[in-house]
Amino acid sequence: METGVAQVISLSPVRHRDDVLTGAGLLPVLPALRELLPGGLQRGSVVTSGGWGLLSLSLAAGAVADGAWCAIVGVPAVGVRAAAQAGLEPDRLLLVAEPGPGWAQAVASLLDGFDIVLLRPPEQPPAQLRRKLEAAARRYGSVLLVAGDWPGAQSRLLVADTKWTGIGLGHGRLRARKAQVIASGRGAGERPRSAWLWLPGPDGAVTAAAAPAGVAGAGPQGDYSGAAEPLASSG
Amino acid sequence: MTGQAASRRVLVLRCADWLDSDRAGDDNAAARAFEPVVAIVGEFCPQVEVLRPGICAIGTRGPARYFGGEAELARKLTEAVGRGGFACQAGVADGLFAAGLAARAGPTGVLVPPGETPEFLAGLPVGVLGMPELCELLPRLGIETLGQLAALPSAEAASRFGPPGKLASRLARGLDPRPLIARRPAADLSVQLEFDPPAGQSEPVIFAAKALADQMHDRLAAAGLACVRVQVQVRCADGQELSRLWRHDGLLSALAVAERVCWQLDGWRGAAGITLLRLVPDQLVRATGRQLALWGDSVPSDRVARAAIRVQAMLGHDRVTRPVLAGGRRPAEQVLLVPFGDAGVPQRPADRPWPDQIPAPAPATVFGVPLAASVTDDSGNEVTVTGRAQPSAPPAWLAVAGRPARAVTAWAGPWPVTQRWWDPRHARRQARFQLVTQDGAAWLAALQDGRWLIEARYD
Repeated sequence: METGVAQVISLSPVRHRDDVLTGAGLLPVLPALRELLPGGLQRGSVVTSGGWGLLSLSLAAGAVADGAWCAIVGVPAVGVRAAAQAGLEPDRLLLVAEPGPGWAQAVASLLDGFDIVLLRPPEQPPAQLRRKLEAAARRYGSVLLVAGDWPGAQSRLLVADTKWTGIGLGHGRLRARKAQVIASGRGAGERPRSAWLWLPGPDGAVTAAAAPAGVAGAGPQGDYSGAAEPLASSG
Repeated sequence: MTGQAASRRVLVLRCADWLDSDRAGDDNAAARAFEPVVAIVGEFCPQVEVLRPGICAIGTRGPARYFGGEAELARKLTEAVGRGGFACQAGVADGLFAAGLAARAGPTGVLVPPGETPEFLAGLPVGVLGMPELCELLPRLGIETLGQLAALPSAEAASRFGPPGKLASRLARGLDPRPLIARRPAADLSVQLEFDPPAGQSEPVIFAAKALADQMHDRLAAAGLACVRVQVQVRCADGQELSRLWRHDGLLSALAVAERVCWQLDGWRGAAGITLLRLVPDQLVRATGRQLALWGDSVPSDRVARAAIRVQAMLGHDRVTRPVLAGGRRPAEQVLLVPFGDAGVPQRPADRPWPDQIPAPAPATVFGVPLAASVTDDSGNEVTVTGRAQPSAPPAWLAVAGRPARAVTAWAGPWPVTQRWWDPRHARRQARFQLVTQDGAAWLAALQDGRWLIEARYD
């Protein structure tokens, strides 16, 4: 792998599927996401990440680095290199770019076998279909990550605020993006959690960031806005 | 050298409708749908070789003599299949590879006369080899067609590009991919399993098939052999037998064999319980080590493989892929998609320094086909780039794929990229920009031949 695999918390061995049928177990997440998803991804649950983007990929990265397999369904334009830089090893990735009209059946089949299925639904799925897929995730102990809207999801994450650094008006280049991610659960009493992340950092990894100046003190990692080398030179 | 002998005459039948269709939604509909076609072809020649559902092949030597020539055979065959309700194309040429391409040529396929296969192949682009790594590399070296590849001395191709190069060079000349070992498969290389009581469902049989295939591979490996064609024989409780030949040019891994057993059984549903499964390695080649795992240690577990194969049966073999990082200038060139279960190309070094490669962080969305866009300045004029790599004006608005324009809040560039400067006909000049829009999105844009394109989005 070209980037070092991010260190992950490992709460339960992924390959042991015996505990899965009871719905027990958690899949680890990247350290930067622990604050948002304490313990990790609950097996058998549905987690949404707003639209498609690096957040969706990084949600799967921790578990895949720990040995889990991930299938991405309905995204013809996956940036595989971005996934790799975020810690999601392409080695254990399956792509079903165009699942066609039978996409729900494909997703149900993949949930039985893959630990994580990352889905961008081609259409707003009717409630009956959603319940069917939720049941499949529960039965097989997998996690359905949805890049989109999914009423009834156990956790919802979304990127609330983003700022690119390193790029100006006619100079520099995109170096890193600081993003505020907000996680909320289904329970009404649960308070939404929020965290600032480098999504991505300058090497493509997803790490914790300090809140921007004005919200809290200056970040320890600086702002990655130093002198930039050119994006590319003539070949 | 025996390997230079002319390839045998082959007819390939291709059901294009079937291959492109979306028979999704109904499990394994695709695999089932092909079985009647194979049955029709089987009436012309009992030795039908199924390359994958949708494509099958027969040797023409015997049947052509019986049906009055190759053209007549192809005509009668396509008519018979047509009567069965399936549109198909038939191609005849020397060797399986060329015949497969002949079936794709023209609306009904073409008949390449004996000996003219190299001429037929010469004009085709190297992309038809279906070897992603090589097909990306060769055009960079100015080798665009099979004719140009065939013109290279084969020893040269082998030493420069390794075993894939040797294989490609043989194919481009209209030779069989590897010299087959002229030896009947010894009986002791076949493996079989009896089911008592008969197995009613296909899943246990498919699992048995995987174990059997492993066993067969161990025996082959012990003899220094690999197989490119395997015969799968299934016997039912009512005495009926179904036998099919399956070919796979990536060499048949244990998983690939199990997959084909799955297709065969799906196409044959409704039969009585299965009592016997036998695998006979049918065409043997010397093992050259091409089967080394492409994905390092990440060998899928049975459970993962089963899920992936099931979805392949629904959607088609090629539509369920594993990505491999590769070198390349454009973001979309940096990933190869290899169908699940295929023995892919050898690991390619993605860490080679590719000039003009976009530095980290990489974009999370990479468009295989770049989106048309429009980038305008404050007064609404399209932004251009001068010969000295200066933008005509600062980009102020970005409209992607005809959607409303968004204000550009930050931008950088242009960075000139020149591809294939050594080949004036295919040289491509680009000026790359990065743009950040008001909604917080960031884009990788390029100006090429006076048109703006969006290659990727950072999101």
